[in-house]
Amino acid sequence: MRPWSALRAAVVLVYLFMLGPILITAAVSFNESNRSQFPPRGFSLQWWQRALAPEWLDPLWFSLKLGSLTAVISTAAALPLAFALTRYRFKGREAMVALTLGPLMLPALVTGVGLLQLFQYAGLREHIGFTALLVGHVVICLPFAVRTVGISLHTLPPNVELAAASLGASRWRTLRHVVFPLTKSGIIAGAVFAFVHSFTDVNLSLFLVRPGEVPITVKILGFLEFGFAPTLAAVSVITLLLPLALVAIVEKVSGLGDFIYGERARV
Amino acid sequence: MALLLVFFVVPNALLLSTSFLKSEAQQLTGELTLENYAFLFGKPLYQWAFVRTFVVGACVGVLTVLLGYPLAYFLVRTRSPWKGLLIALSLAPLLASVVVRTYGWYIILNRFGVANDLLLGLGLIGERIAFMPSTGAIIIGLTHALLPYTVLTIMGSLNGINPNLEQAAMSLGASRTRTFLHVVLPLSLPGIAGGFILAFSIAISAYATPAILGGPATQVMATAIYGFMTQLLDWSIGAALAVILILSSFLLLYAAARLGARQAAL
Repeated sequence: MRPWSALRAAVVLVYLFMLGPILITAAVSFNESNRSQFPPRGFSLQWWQRALAPEWLDPLWFSLKLGSLTAVISTAAALPLAFALTRYRFKGREAMVALTLGPLMLPALVTGVGLLQLFQYAGLREHIGFTALLVGHVVICLPFAVRTVGISLHTLPPNVELAAASLGASRWRTLRHVVFPLTKSGIIAGAVFAFVHSFTDVNLSLFLVRPGEVPITVKILGFLEFGFAPTLAAVSVITLLLPLALVAIVEKVSGLGDFIYGERARV
Repeated sequence: MALLLVFFVVPNALLLSTSFLKSEAQQLTGELTLENYAFLFGKPLYQWAFVRTFVVGACVGVLTVLLGYPLAYFLVRTRSPWKGLLIALSLAPLLASVVVRTYGWYIILNRFGVANDLLLGLGLIGERIAFMPSTGAIIIGLTHALLPYTVLTIMGSLNGINPNLEQAAMSLGASRTRTFLHVVLPLSLPGIAGGFILAFSIAISAYATPAILGGPATQVMATAIYGFMTQLLDWSIGAALAVILILSSFLLLYAAARLGARQAAL
């Protein structure tokens, strides 16, 4: 069993590498001094107090709004798309798959640049900000939603629908009372992935912000130019805890794990 | 669908066309030109940015596989009652934005940071070292950021291997190490290649990590694009750079698809 213990030791080191920086960030936010001392000296909540000021709460709120709306819209758009792609064979299906998953293949940074140009040239300059960000986020989050909903539709035997139809249920009734309830956890998972992807995005958002309409990630990035500030450590921890709490709750209520596995197994 | 067409295809088409237009005094003109590309490929500053981008991408790909493989193998094969929690723990970093995760490395690597304090405290160095801005710091930060993706990809391929094959090899007298090297490792090669390419292609388009852990002397393509688009306001050159970035990541994905096809054919 020697190799297995060696593997164990390696795994511990990898976990340390993965989680160490995050834990250090959290620890540093409780520092008493204005330096990134680790282990922290003293204990103080002053940086947390500053992190909870409007300067940081506003972009945080902005990101929450953006993420929730993105999740709702991309999931709503993903439902018919995923249904069409998994249930029907039609002309142009391949092109549709490519188009749907395209934003996953292309760097989000490039999509951001392109959208900036589009809004500028189309005379929609004043919509750069929330509207442009929402559009961009829906585009890059849609593939996640389509895939996740698609997986749950895949695992649903088509016979169920046929059975409902043969018992005289209309198409809409079948969707409403059979397909929808059975794929509910997939739909919720898709919305969660879309939210998390939107909430953590920086590559696309970078190009589409305007003063006062800035997601928290871009705000943090801009602030980093001034160097280290423990306030930023506290803000970072908050932005980590929010999606973590969301995922933990949803995992408890309807389950997420299968979709992460399923989704990634298809990459 | 129409939404995707308007807000995904059109912007990219626009990008492609602007990259061939001449721009004068920060204004686009109607004149067709290849100058933007010639400019980028001619200047040593950008030649180095290209080279650095790909070196970073390749290093990050290799490192994520080296670190991710043992973890993925452990997570797939362990019989620990904590398995579910351990898997969740290895994916949890994905819930934090790259900005936040890179910030952790900033705290560790900056001149007055944790690493310097530690090394000074241990008496290993006499004075503070500048670990960043540097290409090495960018590689470390991106490896950290992209490791969960590689772990997931490798886990996917390890999960597809029938455990009976390993038992068969061992029952025929092969040692655990031999079984791993001759049975498991070859069968998981597609996962390794997939993880490598996934990390590589995300790494070359990453902006936040190079922006935080690098500096003006360690430009990569993504930071150069940002500079052209928002500071220098030369959109046609910015667009040309973006097109080069798209082509690079397509080439990578194409290579991945070819590799995958060959694996399937074998």
